[in-house]
Amino acid sequence: MKKSILAASLTAAVLAQVPAAQALTIGYATHHFDDKFSTILRNGSQAYAESLGHEMIQVDAQLDVGRQLDQVRNFIANGVDALIIQAVDSTAAGPMSKMAAEAGVPTVFVNRKPTPLESMADGQAYVASNEVESGTYQTYQMCLQLRAEGKSGGARGYLLVGDLASEAAVQRTIDAEQVVQLDMCNFMEIIGKETAMWQRNEAQDLMTNWLSTGEDFDFVIANNDEMALGAIQAMKAAGISMDDVVVGGVDATDDALAAMRGGDLDVTVFQNAKAQGEGAIDAVLKLVNGESVPREYYVPFELITPEILKTHPELSK
Amino acid sequence: MSSTTHGLGGLKYDPKKRHRPPELNVFVALVAIVALFEVLGRMFVGDSFLFNTRDKVDTLFNEQRLKIIILQVSIIGIIALGVTQVIISGGIDLSSGSIVGGVAMITTAFAQSALNEYGMENVKPILGAEWLDLPIIVPLAIGLSVGLLAGIINGLLIAKFKIPPFIVTLGMMLFMRGVATFVTKGRPISFLQEDYVAIGTGMNPVFIFIGIAVIMHFLLKYTKYGKHTYAIGSNEQAARMSGINVDRLKVLIYAIAGMLSAVAAIVMSSKALTGQAGMGLMYELDAIAMAVIGGTSLAGGRGSILGTCLGALIFGVIISGFTFMRLDAFYQEMAKGIIIVAAVILDQWRAQKQAAKA
Repeated sequence: MKKSILAASLTAAVLAQVPAAQALTIGYATHHFDDKFSTILRNGSQAYAESLGHEMIQVDAQLDVGRQLDQVRNFIANGVDALIIQAVDSTAAGPMSKMAAEAGVPTVFVNRKPTPLESMADGQAYVASNEVESGTYQTYQMCLQLRAEGKSGGARGYLLVGDLASEAAVQRTIDAEQVVQLDMCNFMEIIGKETAMWQRNEAQDLMTNWLSTGEDFDFVIANNDEMALGAIQAMKAAGISMDDVVVGGVDATDDALAAMRGGDLDVTVFQNAKAQGEGAIDAVLKLVNGESVPREYYVPFELITPEILKTHPELSK
Repeated sequence: MSSTTHGLGGLKYDPKKRHRPPELNVFVALVAIVALFEVLGRMFVGDSFLFNTRDKVDTLFNEQRLKIIILQVSIIGIIALGVTQVIISGGIDLSSGSIVGGVAMITTAFAQSALNEYGMENVKPILGAEWLDLPIIVPLAIGLSVGLLAGIINGLLIAKFKIPPFIVTLGMMLFMRGVATFVTKGRPISFLQEDYVAIGTGMNPVFIFIGIAVIMHFLLKYTKYGKHTYAIGSNEQAARMSGINVDRLKVLIYAIAGMLSAVAAIVMSSKALTGQAGMGLMYELDAIAMAVIGGTSLAGGRGSILGTCLGALIFGVIISGFTFMRLDAFYQEMAKGIIIVAAVILDQWRAQKQAAKA
């Protein structure tokens, strides 16, 4: 009781400075603290929420569906004003959505799409980027580059797949495979496709294994940048010139951009984690105020090549 | 069983009771798996697994494949060397994978450079600009100390407080994974110094693995430390009665295991040019599996470094073999699972046969 009076007076003090609205407590349930992309996402979210005078509490499900369910239950029991959930498993979002809806807590799912979308209760929203864009932009740009290099007579390459349990890995792989079936890109042949679990180290070893088959190849498509970097390191160690191979990743991480500036990485796709984090806050605040929000809100992916990188407002620095 | 041996027991030499070293079975299994891939490769892929079929280079074997077979298991192999002696002593170490993560993050934080391999400036140093480009000995000493300390804590809790190794190392596993995440709140560390990166380039991880394997083999086979390790694994009470300082030995065993995990962390982060909080996830289980496939008994008292090295090679051959056969990774995991269980069944069957003979 004392605590809540204290909290109330503190809130009042804060309110005096932030006249906009009442300071809210937002519960943020992330799937895994160790994941780099999600780190940028939730830090972006937190910074934005705090700049608006709201408090954000983060919990980590450590990739455990059951733990996340309990954490959300805990948030609701402790009376948070709003919830942002990055689901551990997109197909397990339903129960959390239902729980939040029954308790009347405005909820936004971020980055990971509740599957099927009908499992998300009415009045809730999903903020993310559309994965169909990422793999398509990436592979199509690689196709254009291979054509520009005069390899439209036939090009062979490898596809490094992320963790097959994640929707992004599956979708980006489908995207890539669909692009190489297009009339203008069907000169591209994927001669090997395996998972390296999103990891640089595993991609390094997998690429070296592929190199040991002695096959000639022209491109390497990776579901994320970390695996693209691993492949690059393996190829460089084997003495292959990066001018001869077109390499593409997804995420536009700092390391990937450094490799792009250094001329090793040719294509990546920027998933604006910060924009997703801010989008989630915007959406959840609207829900709290009783405004209507579209069920799906997509922050666009952006194609990044060395040319685009030079003038990109956020990434060139 | 005849009455003539009565009273002499095992003292009398009997060629029928002479048993093959258990490593020989593991070696035969390794050769059989290689041969299987060779045959399957020629049947289905139209290529040789072992031999060079390209005329680009003039070598008999496919050297690149032989190299990657060892290279891809040398990091987990280093961990497995430490885990082997822990298991021989009758314990278990679940913390090794997380120690890799924690040490990788701490070490790389101290191993940052002002410039990256492309000559770009490091604008966001983890520890601040004054901590860049330190002498290479600093990150190495810090990293190894953290691993050693984690191991010593494991050992002390197990020896002095009599807490089961499973629980203690499970706690350390969770703790060190937390440390790994805590260092940068999950952000990966790059911009590593050239000297640091040199540690894990090329075939260096293999040389480090073999070097440590030789030392550990010598330690376990020819020193008091090794003999006592086998002794407490076979019968801790008897070992204590015969005057072995069991507590001190246990601390030492876990300390060495912790330090070898730190070595693996350094080699791995240097090889991948980055420190990441997720590094070493589940490595503890692969390391235990390598030891078990190599004939180390989870009951303690039995096993060898040579066996673990062969176990690591079997892992390497399977990974490369499945890529060679163009089969996806989940088949690999299934195969690994089957091989682990099969190895233990064979081992027990052999032990029973031997017991029946004696």
